[in-house]
Amino acid sequence: MKKTIPLLVVILGGFIWLAWVFVPHRLLQDVFYYDFYLPWARAMAPFGMLLGVMSLSMMHYGKIRRKAPKWQYSFFFFAGFIATSLAGFIGGTQKGGLYMWLFENLQMPMSSTMFSLLAFYMASAAYKAFRARSAEATVLLVAAIIVMLAQVPLGVKISRHLPDISQWILDVPNLASKRGIMLGVGLGSVATTLKILLGIERSYLGGE
Amino acid sequence: MEEKLTLFERIQKLDRRWVYIVVALAIIIPLMLPYNSDNVTSPPTENVYQMIDSFAGREDRAILLSFYHDASTMPELYPMQVAIIRHCFERNVKVFFLSFLPTGAPIIDMAINTVKEEYPHIKSGTDYCNFGYIPASLIMATVIGMGDNIANAVPTDAEGRKVENLPIMKGITNYTEMNLVVEFSGSVAGGYWLAYARPKFGTNIAVGVTAVMAADEYPYLQTGQFIGMLAGLKGAAEYEKLVDVFAAYREPGQPLIPYVDASGKKHVPGRPFSEDLLEKSDIQDLIKITTQTEAKFTPADYEKFVSTQALADQAKIRQAKTQSDGKIVIDVSKLKEDDFEAGTWSALNRMTRNTPYKFKVARIGMNAQSVAHIMIIVFILIGNIGYFIQRARTGKK
Amino acid sequence: MTFELFSNLVGAFFTLCIFSFLYKDNPLYQMSEQLLVGISLGYSLVLVYERTFIPFFVQPIFLKQEWILIIPSIIGMFYLLRFSRKLSWLSRYPIAFSMMGVGASVALAMHNSILVQMRQAMVPLESVNLALIFIGTIAVLLYFFFSKAHTGVYGKFVDIGKWFMMVGFGASFGLTVMARISLLIGRIQFLVNDVFLALKHAFFG
Repeated sequence: MKKTIPLLVVILGGFIWLAWVFVPHRLLQDVFYYDFYLPWARAMAPFGMLLGVMSLSMMHYGKIRRKAPKWQYSFFFFAGFIATSLAGFIGGTQKGGLYMWLFENLQMPMSSTMFSLLAFYMASAAYKAFRARSAEATVLLVAAIIVMLAQVPLGVKISRHLPDISQWILDVPNLASKRGIMLGVGLGSVATTLKILLGIERSYLGGE
Repeated sequence: MEEKLTLFERIQKLDRRWVYIVVALAIIIPLMLPYNSDNVTSPPTENVYQMIDSFAGREDRAILLSFYHDASTMPELYPMQVAIIRHCFERNVKVFFLSFLPTGAPIIDMAINTVKEEYPHIKSGTDYCNFGYIPASLIMATVIGMGDNIANAVPTDAEGRKVENLPIMKGITNYTEMNLVVEFSGSVAGGYWLAYARPKFGTNIAVGVTAVMAADEYPYLQTGQFIGMLAGLKGAAEYEKLVDVFAAYREPGQPLIPYVDASGKKHVPGRPFSEDLLEKSDIQDLIKITTQTEAKFTPADYEKFVSTQALADQAKIRQAKTQSDGKIVIDVSKLKEDDFEAGTWSALNRMTRNTPYKFKVARIGMNAQSVAHIMIIVFILIGNIGYFIQRARTGKK
Repeated sequence: MTFELFSNLVGAFFTLCIFSFLYKDNPLYQMSEQLLVGISLGYSLVLVYERTFIPFFVQPIFLKQEWILIIPSIIGMFYLLRFSRKLSWLSRYPIAFSMMGVGASVALAMHNSILVQMRQAMVPLESVNLALIFIGTIAVLLYFFFSKAHTGVYGKFVDIGKWFMMVGFGASFGLTVMARISLLIGRIQFLVNDVFLALKHAFFG
């Protein structure tokens, strides 16, 4: 019973949406989409955000209470969260305020730096893990090396034809494999969404 | 033989922190010591350049730049954006901006302000117009609405002015005139434009993407759904080079900014794209990354240049000249900016073919890329050689 | 010391804190990590409040008096009941509402991912490259079709797909290397230009 009503909502609503794609009737396009669905979806949206806030806050509060390992650092989470939220709600989100200053000078540098750590990990992986153990792996490495060399100005100095070879690799084998994969992924996602639409796939409703 | 094997074994077991130090140095050193290099341009970039250049000086054509990313992908996408904006400002192409993400709007402002500093004649509302942040809920309405009438789809710009009253909208109604959309993105690129704008209205779409995504976008390039693509930092470096060689190039004596002559005909400075010119070796002088302070002229060009400057400055320029290799050289670092009129000083600096730092960021970055790529290839090779030697050794046992 | 230089120094300090993780996991890194999570969450919360809560919840209900929107708001609040053991079944309702859109995505995904790609792939095989692309696309597609055993001649044909994919992944890897290093270059350009050189300029002229 607890699962049936949501399931019926998804199936019936899904078929109405399917009709929305094909039927240009005013009832579907204007009344259903603009007057019903959009305002309802937008009114529901902000509460999903609260879920994330509550989940993280509860996790860190629990850590502090239980004195779990590294519990002291959870204070920094709360400090950052409360400072930024208060700065935003009280000070406002315009360019010169504390909220944007915290974002531009703390969040942006730190998140960009997290991304850039990947470059180091990749160099370390290239050194320790990329082994030409089989013919296929060798082909992969050779293609990678050609494309890498052709991207940089030094590539032309090594061989005049390198940029053309690299462009051919990107235009022909790479394109064929990406298109094949795209088609496969498309077919898979159509199958999955069809299963959700017909009520066969119910895992999104959770347990119980 | 034993020595070599144990050496490879030791290299195999090397602490990864030494690898990190090598990576860091491989990038820091080329960034602190710039050197000249050449980025070979590829067809996807050249196609974008040519299409934007075909709109040069035209009242009835414009391009739209869509910033669909946040600050984390800026190292690759920001130099591209600066290069394209510079191209448009140099060649008098009308350009519109918008962003469907709130994090994209500050980046638009940064990009415009960075380029505008060098082009005082560019005016907001006449040469460019920033539509600012458009909420996600209005994406479809905007993309489809601009096919009928841009001023109706986007009533006000980021500065609060009514779009239909702006001088830039003279001659521009919808996608027929604003015929190229360039979307910059670190994730899905060109999605909405491909799905709605292109099939219905035939808009041309180009994308500027991070290198990670570039390989996945090739199917769309081949089918013509994208007319061109700028792929990562390399695409940005290629575009910067094209702008330096063609759009920003001035013959000695040529006016720096667009003007309308006595018969009402508009003249746009710079020169059109040409494949043959790219093959010539003398364009290397135009794309130097190191700071250039010397303006070199042939005697005929020198006379042409001096005669087009303000009378008061002509004598000072003649005083400052020196001879070298049959060419007349003027060293700008030995002159003072206050001695000359603003127009003469800008013209002199243009003739040195020096590019301001902000317009060569991608090329300096590509130098560091070169060293980093070579280093990673060396790592892969050393790792594999060591692995095969070890395997042969255990095989023998 | 201008305010801009001070702000850049703060950014540089936290950048170096995160980079310190490469040497060893240390308290500075742990602190920066938690600070980053907290600030990101606070940033998103205020942004959602300003751009979604106010214009789509407060304004329609209280200013424009569209009282019907109280119903979706209450359903939205059921998201939070996920944490209650007794009432967590109510949290399925808002999820179901947002999952309704799969109906449209069946048709749209069919069109955009499959039909358009197929149409673009069906071109006259005028050159060697186009023929190679055609063979490669089919081989890669069949490689993932496991209902038929990959044996004999069929198996050899499908093997070609594997080689195409290896080259494709190699090309992706080469481009990924460039992308990741670009991110690192961006950070180091910030440290070198906006911090190191600016400090040199400020103190030594």
